[in-house]
Amino acid sequence: MALPLYYNWRNLFVRKLSTMLTFAVVAVIVLVLAVLLSFAAGIRASLASSGSRSNIMVLKPGATAESTSIILPDEISKLVQAPHVARGGDGRPLVSEELCVQTSIPRSTDGTLANVAVRGVAPVAFDVHREVRLIEGRRFDDGALEVIVGKAARDRYANLQIGGEVPLGKLSNRTYRVVGVFEAGGGALESEIWAGLTSIRDSFDRRFSSSAVLALDDAVRADETIAAINGPSIQLEARRESDYYIELSRKTREIVLLTSILIGIMSIGAVFAVANTMYASVDGRRREIAMLRTIGFSRGAILTAFLIESMLICVVACAAGIGGSLLLSGSRQDFLSDTTWTVLAYELRITGDIVVSALGLAVVVGAVGALAPALRASRIRVIEALRKA
Amino acid sequence: MNLRLLYLARNLTRNRIRTALTCAAVALPIIIYVLSTAVVEGYEEFLEQAARELRLAVTQRTSIINPLPAGHRPKIESLDPTGARLVAVCGMRWIGGRIENDPRPLSTLAVDADTFPTSFPEYLRSPDEREAWVRDKQALIIGRGVAGQFGWKKGDRVTIVPSVPPYTPMEFHVVSTSEEASDPLTNWFRRDYLEEELRKSGAPEGLVSFFFIKCGSKADLDHFRVAIDALFARSPDETKTQDEKTFMNEYVTQQFNLPRNLRILAAVTVFVAVMAAANTMSMNFRDRISEYATLKSMGFSGGIVFTMIQSESLLTCAAGGIAGAAVPYVLFTHTPMKNFTVPLIQHLDIAPAVCGQAVLIALAIGLLAGAWPSWLAVRLHVVTALRSLE
Repeated sequence: MALPLYYNWRNLFVRKLSTMLTFAVVAVIVLVLAVLLSFAAGIRASLASSGSRSNIMVLKPGATAESTSIILPDEISKLVQAPHVARGGDGRPLVSEELCVQTSIPRSTDGTLANVAVRGVAPVAFDVHREVRLIEGRRFDDGALEVIVGKAARDRYANLQIGGEVPLGKLSNRTYRVVGVFEAGGGALESEIWAGLTSIRDSFDRRFSSSAVLALDDAVRADETIAAINGPSIQLEARRESDYYIELSRKTREIVLLTSILIGIMSIGAVFAVANTMYASVDGRRREIAMLRTIGFSRGAILTAFLIESMLICVVACAAGIGGSLLLSGSRQDFLSDTTWTVLAYELRITGDIVVSALGLAVVVGAVGALAPALRASRIRVIEALRKA
Repeated sequence: MNLRLLYLARNLTRNRIRTALTCAAVALPIIIYVLSTAVVEGYEEFLEQAARELRLAVTQRTSIINPLPAGHRPKIESLDPTGARLVAVCGMRWIGGRIENDPRPLSTLAVDADTFPTSFPEYLRSPDEREAWVRDKQALIIGRGVAGQFGWKKGDRVTIVPSVPPYTPMEFHVVSTSEEASDPLTNWFRRDYLEEELRKSGAPEGLVSFFFIKCGSKADLDHFRVAIDALFARSPDETKTQDEKTFMNEYVTQQFNLPRNLRILAAVTVFVAVMAAANTMSMNFRDRISEYATLKSMGFSGGIVFTMIQSESLLTCAAGGIAGAAVPYVLFTHTPMKNFTVPLIQHLDIAPAVCGQAVLIALAIGLLAGAWPSWLAVRLHVVTALRSLE
């Protein structure tokens, strides 16, 4: 027969200060874990929802990112002939020729400069990137000094509201006006500024494009298209657009690794703190435990009771830590990808996975920390403990 | 006096498990504190090193991605025809690169062969390395870290595929593994070789990503920082000139702002240690409340009880602090772990000063942890305390 949970709960309030301090240790560690992982989760979430599986991104072979790739006009005309390219309403192939450049824009929080990607696109881009949707204002006129900005970019960088002015161009001497805001399913494109291809080409003095994105009419046969583009007649490097962005999220593995090491060390510390508290709790209740044994509770019941008591503190602390991290959740950060050299604005996210790992950590810390003290409690010699009193 | 010390020692060993657990709970956060402080300090040292080299970095005004014409070099040099204040101007083109069938990205720069040794004296230290660099157009200087990662050594022939034009594989001969340079991850080769390959592929030639300029003195550095930008103002290729420290710092802070975040982390771990130690001291106090009451009733002053509790707390935390500082120190200076490299920081140097600082912090933790119990002990009302005993 097990002891009622109520007994454990009441016991936590007998040594208030000690419980509170243990609680604080575990809560802080969970908070650190959740915040560190939320950086990685935010970046991953943003990159994972970027790009479509039925789109093909084409770069120059060897180029690692759009910003280092150069595609010539006759290569674009060859791409049009690749198999399975979808056609738009007017019968024209859905091949979007794009030019990626960048500009420095101050962050709206502290005014430090960030390298924001600027993408020059032709009207067909809106049929290729189907996830891009205007949520405010209107599209830019191709050729006019007008831009639309991603939602994340508008929130994170200064002066990108509708009507705002952005100096662009090789000499930063062309003033573009923001005429619209778009969203792109929470993906990386939302950190970008878009403008007309011809206008961006002219302002940045570029003759070539950086990349081309093809929409397919049949996503299942993407491999044939990729093989044709990589093959001898076109000789460019194609991959699914979604794969390009997933590759960029490789950097987040470093954060997860670093977090694991740090949290590992801190958790061992927490285990010791919990063990300490539980030892004190056991030693202070020898008589009580002996009494419980006399009225018929088994060794196992005592052992479980102490384990549960410790895990109870840890789980409640975990809830508090997660609660604290939720305050930061949704705040906008950005990071500079060392592949594209442009910033990705993302939101810190506390995902289900993070909550599960935090809970797992708390339960393990609670159980491991309480194991030795609980064993001691279950082995108390009843007669001796009662006599001493 | 001896009696007091004995009492203190007895108190510490009375509940050995508790003392040991407290030491460990203080030591582990201190380890993290030492490691993160060492990384931050290493990074600052890297920046200081960058500042001491008296170099300027010249990039295109709007973005580092936009190239500058290589023809800027003679124009910059003409600012000081004597060459005493502007010691050397070195144009560099970033080609990134990777080796075939290996996803790991490289950081490779093509540099002006003639001015590189003067601008970056930390490379090509020996005369024969310098001679190989001058003689061989395909010479490649690799970073120490790169040498370790890929198992490359002096004399090897390696093939790198650039991430930018010409995109075609280029063959190199490793002439140096830059043992004394502070940056372990960058590879360097001659820009005339790159230009030759660009010419073959028909890609645009004569472009550089940035210039590094070695100055004669700090005053020259400040002077040319302004003078170079003024020279190219209102030209089609305007420049942005920064000293090397600012240039590097901008790059690092944009990637997760590691130094700031590590400092926050260090502070949080210290907080955890305070909680853990305070917990022990409050438990001790609870267990010994009758003793303290007895001591006081026998005529020992509150001050003595106060000192007793504080010294116990201090000793426990100091032991934890010393252990916590010693582990990373020994690990990173006397074991194979000492070859561990962090990007930008060559070796993770655990400075004795950082360890000392950590021990001081551990003492502060001890003071804080003992504060509340010792205050309660001083305020302890003997009669009430004794009466409340069963």
